[in-house]
Amino acid sequence: MVNGYTAHSLAEALEIRAAHSVIPYAGGTDLMVESRPDPTYLFLSRVPELCGICEDANYIRIGAAVTYTQALESPLVPPLMKAAVAQIAAPAIRNAGTFGGNLGNGSAKADSVLIEYVTDAKLRLASVRGERTVSVADFYQGRKQLDLAQDELIVEILLPRPAPGERWHYEKVGGRNALAISRVSFAGVYEEQDGRILRLAAGFGAVAATVLRYPDLEAMLVSRTVEEARSLKADFLAAYEQRMQLTRGRVSAEYRKAVCLRLLGAFLEEIGL
Amino acid sequence: MKEISCPVVKKDHWDKVSGRSRYVGDYDGEGVLTGKLLHAKVAHAKIVEVTLPELPQGYLYVDRNDVPGDNNVNIVKDDTPVYARETVEYIGEPIGMVVGPDPREVERLLSEIQVTYEELEPVLDLRKASEVFFHYEYGKGDVEAAFAQADKVYEEEFETGYQEQAYLETQGMMAVPEADGRMFVHGSMQCIYYVKGAVMRALGCGPDGVHILQDPTGGGFGGKEAFPSILACQVAVAAHKAQAPVRCVFDRREDLEYTSKRHPSLCTYKVAVKDGKVTAMDIDVKFNGGAYTTLSAVVLQRGLICADGVYNIKNLHVIGEALKTNTTPTGAYRGFGAPQTFFAVELMMDHIARDLGVDSLAFKEAHMVRQGDATSTSGMYHFPVPLPAMIDEVDAASDFRRKHREYEKPQTGRYRRGIGMSVYFHGAGFTGAGERDTIKAVCKLHKYPDGTVEILASNGEIGQGVRTTFPKIVARELNLPLEKVYYDQPDTARVPDSGPTVASRSLMIVGELLRRAAIQLRDKWVDGEDQMVEEHYKEPDFMIPFSLEDFHGDAYPTYAWGVHAIEVEVDTCTGRSQVLGAYGSFDVGTPIDYNVVMGQMEGGFLQGIGYSSMEHMNYDDRGRIRNNSFSDYLIPTTRDVPNLKCILHVEEYPDGPYGAKGAGELPLVGGPGAYVEALEQALGGVKLHHAPFTAEDTMNVILKEGL
Amino acid sequence: MSGICFMLNGAPVTYEGSGADRLLEVLRDTYRTTSVKCGCKEGECGACSVLLDGVLVNSCCVAMGAVEDRNVVTLEGYRETERFAVLSRAFGEMSAVQCGFCIPGMILASEALLSRNPHPSEEEIREGLSGNLCRCTGYNAIVKAVSLAAEEGNGLW
Repeated sequence: MVNGYTAHSLAEALEIRAAHSVIPYAGGTDLMVESRPDPTYLFLSRVPELCGICEDANYIRIGAAVTYTQALESPLVPPLMKAAVAQIAAPAIRNAGTFGGNLGNGSAKADSVLIEYVTDAKLRLASVRGERTVSVADFYQGRKQLDLAQDELIVEILLPRPAPGERWHYEKVGGRNALAISRVSFAGVYEEQDGRILRLAAGFGAVAATVLRYPDLEAMLVSRTVEEARSLKADFLAAYEQRMQLTRGRVSAEYRKAVCLRLLGAFLEEIGL
Repeated sequence: MKEISCPVVKKDHWDKVSGRSRYVGDYDGEGVLTGKLLHAKVAHAKIVEVTLPELPQGYLYVDRNDVPGDNNVNIVKDDTPVYARETVEYIGEPIGMVVGPDPREVERLLSEIQVTYEELEPVLDLRKASEVFFHYEYGKGDVEAAFAQADKVYEEEFETGYQEQAYLETQGMMAVPEADGRMFVHGSMQCIYYVKGAVMRALGCGPDGVHILQDPTGGGFGGKEAFPSILACQVAVAAHKAQAPVRCVFDRREDLEYTSKRHPSLCTYKVAVKDGKVTAMDIDVKFNGGAYTTLSAVVLQRGLICADGVYNIKNLHVIGEALKTNTTPTGAYRGFGAPQTFFAVELMMDHIARDLGVDSLAFKEAHMVRQGDATSTSGMYHFPVPLPAMIDEVDAASDFRRKHREYEKPQTGRYRRGIGMSVYFHGAGFTGAGERDTIKAVCKLHKYPDGTVEILASNGEIGQGVRTTFPKIVARELNLPLEKVYYDQPDTARVPDSGPTVASRSLMIVGELLRRAAIQLRDKWVDGEDQMVEEHYKEPDFMIPFSLEDFHGDAYPTYAWGVHAIEVEVDTCTGRSQVLGAYGSFDVGTPIDYNVVMGQMEGGFLQGIGYSSMEHMNYDDRGRIRNNSFSDYLIPTTRDVPNLKCILHVEEYPDGPYGAKGAGELPLVGGPGAYVEALEQALGGVKLHHAPFTAEDTMNVILKEGL
Repeated sequence: MSGICFMLNGAPVTYEGSGADRLLEVLRDTYRTTSVKCGCKEGECGACSVLLDGVLVNSCCVAMGAVEDRNVVTLEGYRETERFAVLSRAFGEMSAVQCGFCIPGMILASEALLSRNPHPSEEEIREGLSGNLCRCTGYNAIVKAVSLAAEEGNGLW
């Protein structure tokens, strides 16, 4: 093929990736919108190792070339991820767009990536040199800056299995009800045991260079009793207000911040704090 | 339902549904050169120099020096150049065109052209604009006395933004030099004779030197009224220079940024109230015309005539200006100036009612015009005004009055609801004496020996159904099956000038001409013979002559009427609003085809809701339009207003075919008034003053009001 | 280097150009399947929808290399089917076609929807067509047409 390679196994894909200057192509829905002069693509949709969804004791493992539609149809994919993916664009985009592509594009607006942040997902990366696993938060180093070497590919997303009794909350704010790029998105995960907060995660998409999550602020409430957490709620929200440094995009930074704080508040209310 | 209203499968259905219809971009490109425009990158500058890269064999650069005729496009005035003169006046102004066989090579060459500018200070802000393109002023009664005697005087300012037509098919045009020396221009357009006049002038040739064909056109909404004249001149000049066919089809980005759109407006309303009734309005209207005049004169005229809404205001003073800014020229868009002023007057009436502590709808009803009342321009509402019945219909469909009372009460919680109503009209056909003095429509019927009848007229099918409704009228009068009557894509070489496809006039004016032509043909019908009949426009005799000098007389022969109710739910966490229901009653006279008219009403209504809410477009401090892609300029999808209900209310117009009157533009006009009123209620009774009102605007109110 | 082989409307074809070329442009320019319309070239309008191995995609967002050994169906192929005849009649009956530019994409989106869900609710129809913009109709007639087609074509999907 002129200006392109099709790989049929992960090993072959990694060989090509190492030997040539190629752009990994999974679903194409972002790549084809950018206009690069004469790109050479490495087509990944025929690599079986990238195309499956499976589970092990700890993780739901989603291949990098799995499309959103495939995820929505899979009984393994957790409901929080489905809630986010179901609201991406429209069917034709969901039929083509992939988890790996959403990551590789490097945008903080990537709806599946927000879920990976709040669930502490890990990414398995591979190259001819070997494999490594990184957390999503470490993978994103800045706007469009990824911890991905020239010869590496994203192989799969390791999504921790939802804990029994875990509660979640997802909201996407777009400009309309379909075909909408997130202007603000919010995801929260919450777990409580015997009246004490075991886990609380809150992530914000589309409002800064990367998805935002503040583990140290979350820690204000973790291991507290629900009553303690309620009394700390105002301080907790104030801490977010102070910490969040947002950028402007299609909407202003002020708007984004107001929405983020209100959605965080709505999340706390929903979980009874 | 009248028989003529019964829906039929549209004549152009099978070709379109099967993908066989050939739009201008679909013609085989073999031997056709691709043209791409060189657009100005600064808003106001002298062009010092254009430096071209080396052009390979077969590639050309075309600019104003190549125009064989006059480098001015014939629109209403002639200030729009075919290709830029010594200066550029807005970002995107076409300076030249690169033409050649390989589109990629054309793109490459275009990107290598260096334009040296000597930048001049641009005027971008409508409030600071000083060059007045058009100025009109009119009134009636004694405004001064009414204000002097008023119990209370209200003054508010209203603002509306751009709206882009966002037809799915971008602008596209192709010019083909023919063997006999004629230039054949075809493409996506509403008005073949407008394009013909413009191309004749640019090429400096007579009426026999060019002919224009309308290809199947993927939507117009006004956006293909004047703009195609400019693009046609550009491709015709290029084809003339190349002596080969040239086609230019816009990218979506070019189309969104550089083609005409609805005028942004700034309206100041000063209203006198005495004894609980409005006694006078003093209205100041400003439209942002962009860099060239194009259609601003006529758009402004209509906006001004509608400025007092559907209300009987005895003392009225209206002043209006279209101003120049160094931005994309604005132009025709469904509603044509009326949506802006109707938005303002509907909110103004609502605000006054609330200040007086009376029900907004009751207040509006108390001021509504009735048959026999004077119009704003001292003409007359000659025919029944069915608004009260239509309000009741919408109330029944939407439960407006009950919901309005309920949502008036203080609301708490994340989601808050509101419902708003707008009441409005659209003057059917051209403003004033345009039809009689300028257009002078002619149409013909050609009967072939086999008994089939061809309609010869110049009105383009742009989705509104004229290829079906025209034949329905003719077939009915001739008592022929519909298959026996047809109306092809019009070509100026074959059809007379029955006028442009604008102003909701095609069906009402040309449809009636065709009905009369059909009666003529019926009377003369001889089996087996080839026969031709012709009809000319005649002004209805009831009209009070309109004078544009003093805006006096019947601006329109009749009016189409509309009532909207829109119910919204605001999310106070995000500022987003969901339209829970949109209900409309529309009187466009007899529907010539029920489905066709419903399609117009539903489509126009949704465009109006888009205009009110998500269709935000603006330019930056350099004058560059920021919302230049379909991910930045949002139009409604299937999921945005699932509950959209339209009702037809029929008040027959005796001078339209079977009682039909203008339809296409009406349903858009009332969108912003009803939508923003609904938001006001959901936001606890605030007063809002602009459209579109976006989620971000809503959040600002929420924060300010502490909701 | 060998070309890119794929099935287009049931016939095998080999594309000799670049793997990075856009399927939309190749369909229109090389194979002249001009029912596939270009509305935005960024996946935001659905006018260029085609079926790729039976799945709805925007052909503007597909590079030719991704089409290798796969099955592409445009309206030129689909219009020969009985299912198309049912959809076409339903669209005709509802006068759901105005300017027509979005329609080839709408028809294929309808097919993609009905092939997965033969009896969709109104909400499901609106969801299934949510990537296909129409500026003319306000969508009601199109939604009704798909609903009617589902009824009339009972058993076909």
